[in-house]
Amino acid sequence: MVDEKKLQEKARETLIRDDVRRLIGWKRGTYGFEAAPAVVTDASQAEQLIFDATCVANPASFIAIEEKKPVPRGAEPDTRKVAVMVKGCDSRAVVQQLVEKAYAREDVVVLGIPCLGVVDRRKAEKLFGQTGAQVSAKVDKEKVALDIGGDVKTVDRSNILMDKCLRCRYPNPLVSDFLLGEEVEKWADDDFADVDEFEKMSPEDKWKHWDEQFSKCIRCYSCRNVCPMCYCVECVVSKLRPQWTRRSTDISENTVYHVQRAWHLAGRCIECMECQRVCPVDIPIMTLNRKMTRDVKEMFEYEPGVDVEAEPMLACYNPQDPEEYIM
Amino acid sequence: MMDESNPYLPYIVNIEDARYETPGDRAIKTFRVTFADDKVWDTWSHSPGNCAMVGRLGVGEAMFCISSSPTEEGYLRFSIMKMGKVTRALHELETGDTMTVRGPLGNSFPMEEWEGKNIVTVGGGIGQAPLRPVINYVRANRDKYGELQVIYGSRTSEDLCFQDELGEFMTESGTSCHLSVDVEEEKWPHFVGFVPNLLMEVSPSPENAIAVTCGPPIMIKFVTQNLLKLGFAPEQIYTTLEERMKCGIGKCGRCNVGHLYVCKDGPVFSYETLKKIPEAFA
Amino acid sequence: MGDYKFARDKLADVLTSLKEYQVFAPAAVGDVLRFKEVTDPANVSLDYDNTTVPPKELMFPQTETLFKYRLGSTEVEPSVPDASKKRMVFGIRPCDAHAYSIVDNLYGWDFADPYYQKRREGTTLVGLACAEPCANCFCPSVGGGPASEKGLDALMFDLGDAYYVNSLTDKGEEFAKAAGLEAAGDADAKAAAKQGEDALKKVARSIDTAGIPEKLPSLYDHPFWEQFSDRCLGCGICTFLCPTCHCFDIQDEAEAFDARRARMWDTCMFSEYSLHTSGHNPRPTRKERTRNRISHKYSYFPEKFDVIACVGCGRCINHCPVNIDILDILDKSKQAEAKEAKTA
Repeated sequence: MVDEKKLQEKARETLIRDDVRRLIGWKRGTYGFEAAPAVVTDASQAEQLIFDATCVANPASFIAIEEKKPVPRGAEPDTRKVAVMVKGCDSRAVVQQLVEKAYAREDVVVLGIPCLGVVDRRKAEKLFGQTGAQVSAKVDKEKVALDIGGDVKTVDRSNILMDKCLRCRYPNPLVSDFLLGEEVEKWADDDFADVDEFEKMSPEDKWKHWDEQFSKCIRCYSCRNVCPMCYCVECVVSKLRPQWTRRSTDISENTVYHVQRAWHLAGRCIECMECQRVCPVDIPIMTLNRKMTRDVKEMFEYEPGVDVEAEPMLACYNPQDPEEYIM
Repeated sequence: MMDESNPYLPYIVNIEDARYETPGDRAIKTFRVTFADDKVWDTWSHSPGNCAMVGRLGVGEAMFCISSSPTEEGYLRFSIMKMGKVTRALHELETGDTMTVRGPLGNSFPMEEWEGKNIVTVGGGIGQAPLRPVINYVRANRDKYGELQVIYGSRTSEDLCFQDELGEFMTESGTSCHLSVDVEEEKWPHFVGFVPNLLMEVSPSPENAIAVTCGPPIMIKFVTQNLLKLGFAPEQIYTTLEERMKCGIGKCGRCNVGHLYVCKDGPVFSYETLKKIPEAFA
Repeated sequence: MGDYKFARDKLADVLTSLKEYQVFAPAAVGDVLRFKEVTDPANVSLDYDNTTVPPKELMFPQTETLFKYRLGSTEVEPSVPDASKKRMVFGIRPCDAHAYSIVDNLYGWDFADPYYQKRREGTTLVGLACAEPCANCFCPSVGGGPASEKGLDALMFDLGDAYYVNSLTDKGEEFAKAAGLEAAGDADAKAAAKQGEDALKKVARSIDTAGIPEKLPSLYDHPFWEQFSDRCLGCGICTFLCPTCHCFDIQDEAEAFDARRARMWDTCMFSEYSLHTSGHNPRPTRKERTRNRISHKYSYFPEKFDVIACVGCGRCINHCPVNIDILDILDKSKQAEAKEAKTA
C-alpha cells in the first residue's frame, strides 16, 4: 500500500517545482464509495491528496481535455509540465497518449502507484446501499476492508473490486518518473471469458441486447468525455458542418454514436473501464471495447498503451495483415 | 403577430429581391421579402430593433435583425452574412425563392422615448444592419427627432453595407454621415482607422443625445468606453447583443447573458442595464 | 380533499382500472429504473428510491418533433400533443412533481409553449411520498420535502400493507374515483403524517439558500469556480438528469422526401451550446460553463421567476463521475469573497 504521507510529500515537492503547473490525483469525495479526481495547483493543496481502493477515476483523462483560453497578445504561453498520479491501468492511458503524440514525454511528470485493485461503486452500493459517509477502503491480496463512517466492512475482492481489477495484467505503472510504493505482484490474467460469453449469443440475441442497451442512452457523452483516448478537440458526433450524427436520440443515432466510438478506439482502448463506470444508465460499453481489444490482439498482435516506443496500430500497416475484420 | 397557439411555426415568405451588399467569403446578401399569405400583414407589426428567425426548411433557422424600418411598408429586409450552415443555405436563395420567417421577436429601441433627441449611430461592418431601421425610422419621422449622425466603418470600403443609402445621408438636411475603413486604401476620401477612433474624431455631443452602437463585440466595448469619455451617461448608450439562438422565444436557454435572455429581454439593451451584467461582454 | 387507500396487493388492480388514462410508472430497464408507459401492471414496482432519468421526459421528451414537412413544399404539419388525451404519472416522487411547477414558469412566460403545456394540462400527477430519503437528497432546503404536495394531484404514502392516498385536486379526486379507492380512516392519515415527519428528519443534507441568488453574480470572475471546473468532464449528466434543466436545441432533419424540425435536450455544459458561428465562444472553458449551470439555477432563474430552479433531488450529485457536488459548490460560494467583475 502507498503511504499517504509520502504521497503528499512527493506531491508537495512536485508542485513546488518551477516547471510544474498542476498535479492531477485523487482526494476524498464528499460522500460515498468513490474518491474524487483532484486537480491541484498549489503545494498547500497537497494535503488533500489520497490514495486508497476508492481511487477509481483515471487521472490521465484530465491531461488532454484541459481547455486553455487563447494566450493574450504579447504574453508567453504557459509551457510548464502537468504532473499526474497513475495506477497501472491509468498509466496505459499515458503511454497511449504519448504513442499518439497527444503531448511530449517532457510535458508530464508521472507519479506511478502500484495498485491492488479499486472498488466498484455499483457493487458496493448493492452490498451496503448508498451512503453519505466518506468511505475509505484498504485492499490486500484477499480482502477489501471498507470504512463506512466508522463501520468497517470486510468483503472478498471478487465481490467488490472493478471487473478490470479481477483480470488485471498491469498492476504496476508502465511509465513513471517516481514510483510511490513498492511494486506489487500480478495476481491474475485475462482470458477474455467475458467476450467468449458474449459471443455465445446468437446474432438475433446480440441485436436485441444492443437494441435494449442503446435505447437507454441519453447521449450525455460522459463515456466519451471521461475516456482518456477521446481527446479530439472537435468530436465527430458534435460536428455540425457536415453533420455525421444527428442529435436526436433514437436507436439508430444512438447506435451510430456507440459503434463509431468503439471503432475509433480500435487499437487504442486501454481498458480503464471509465466509460462504463460513468454511464448513468448502465450501458455495458466495455463489451464492445473488449471484443475489439481481443480482435486487435489476435489479428494484429497489438496491445495499445504498453510500450511508449510503439507505433500507433493504424499507423503500422503491414501487407500481411489479416482481413477478417472487414465486414 | 406570430401564430399565438404555436410560436415555433414559421411564416413562408417570398423573396422579391436578393442582392449582394459586399463580396467575398463572408459576403453579405440583402433579401427583401414579403409574406406568401398577404393576410399576415394585417396583424404584423414590428419596430426598429426587432429580430426574426429566418430559415430554410430542411436546413434550419437563425436569428437576424429586421434591417428594414416599419416605415418601409410592404416588405421586410434582412441582411445576412455568409457564415455557417443556415446562412450558407440562405445565400443560395435568389429572387422568386421562398424562405421562412418567425417573428417579430425580442424587444426594440424605445423610439418614442427618444423623440426630440439627437440620435448618433455607431456601426461596424454587418453591425450596421440593426442600426439601419433606426436611421430610416428617424428619416421618416424627421420632425420628431433632432440631428442624426451616422458613424460607420468597416475593414475596407468594399465591406460597407447599404452603400446606395450612405450618399443620401451625406446630403440630407439634419443628417450627417462619417465613414471609415480600417486600413489605408487608394482614393478613400474619409477617415482611416477603427470605428472607436472615428467616433472620437467626430466627437458627437452628449447633450440631449442618444448613441446606438452595434458591431463586433470588441468594437462595442471600445465604442462604449469612448462614448463614456465623451460624456454620454450609461442610460444614453444603447447596443444590441448577439448570442447563439435556437428558439428565439426565451425557452431554449442558450442566449442568456446573466439572467437576461438576449432573444426575449433583448437584443436591445442600454449600457445602464449591461454594466451590471459582466457576461454581456464575454 | 379526500382520503383514500388501497391494499398493497391491489396495486395491479388499481392500475388496470385506470383504463381511460395513459399511465406512466417506474419500471426496470435492466438495472436502471425509468418512467415507462404501463403495459403490464405486474411490471410496476413502487419500491424504488428514484429513477435515474427524471420524469421530465414525459412533459419534455429528449427528442420531440415540432412539425413535419415534405422537402420542397411550404406546408408544415405541427405535431402538438392532444391535451384531451388523459395521461397519468403514477408514483412520481415529490421532488420531480415540484420540478414541473418550477419549469412551468419558463414554458409559460410570454410565449406559451404548446408542446409542453398540452402535455402538462392533460396529465394527472399521482405522487409517492419518500419514507427513506437518499443520501444526497436535500429537498427541504429548496422548498420541497419527502411528502411535499407541490404540483401534485394526489399523494400516496406506502404504509406497508396499504397505500394511503391523499387527493389534492379535482384531478386527484377523478383518479380516486376511476381507481375505485376505498375511504381511509383517521389512523391511516395519522400514520401517513407521522411518516412524512419522520422522513423529513432523515434528510441528511441541507443548504441555507438565503443570500445565494444575490451573491452569485458577484462571484462572476472568482477563481473558486476552478476548484470544481478543473475536474469537470463537460458531459451532460448533471443537466440531462436534472428535473428542472430545460434547455434544448432545434434541428431540421431531412430524409430524401420527408423532413421534420425537432427539438432535443441540450446542455450548457457542452462547449458547442454557446459557440458562435464566428468561432467566438462567450463561455470558452468549463469554468464559465460550470458557473452558468449553478448561477442559472440559483441566481438567474430566481431573478426572473422568483424561484430557485433546483428541487434537491440529488441526481447531479449521485451521478457526477467526478464528484462535483452542488451543495459543496454552494457552500464554497458562501465563503468566497465577492469581487467586482469587469465590464466595458
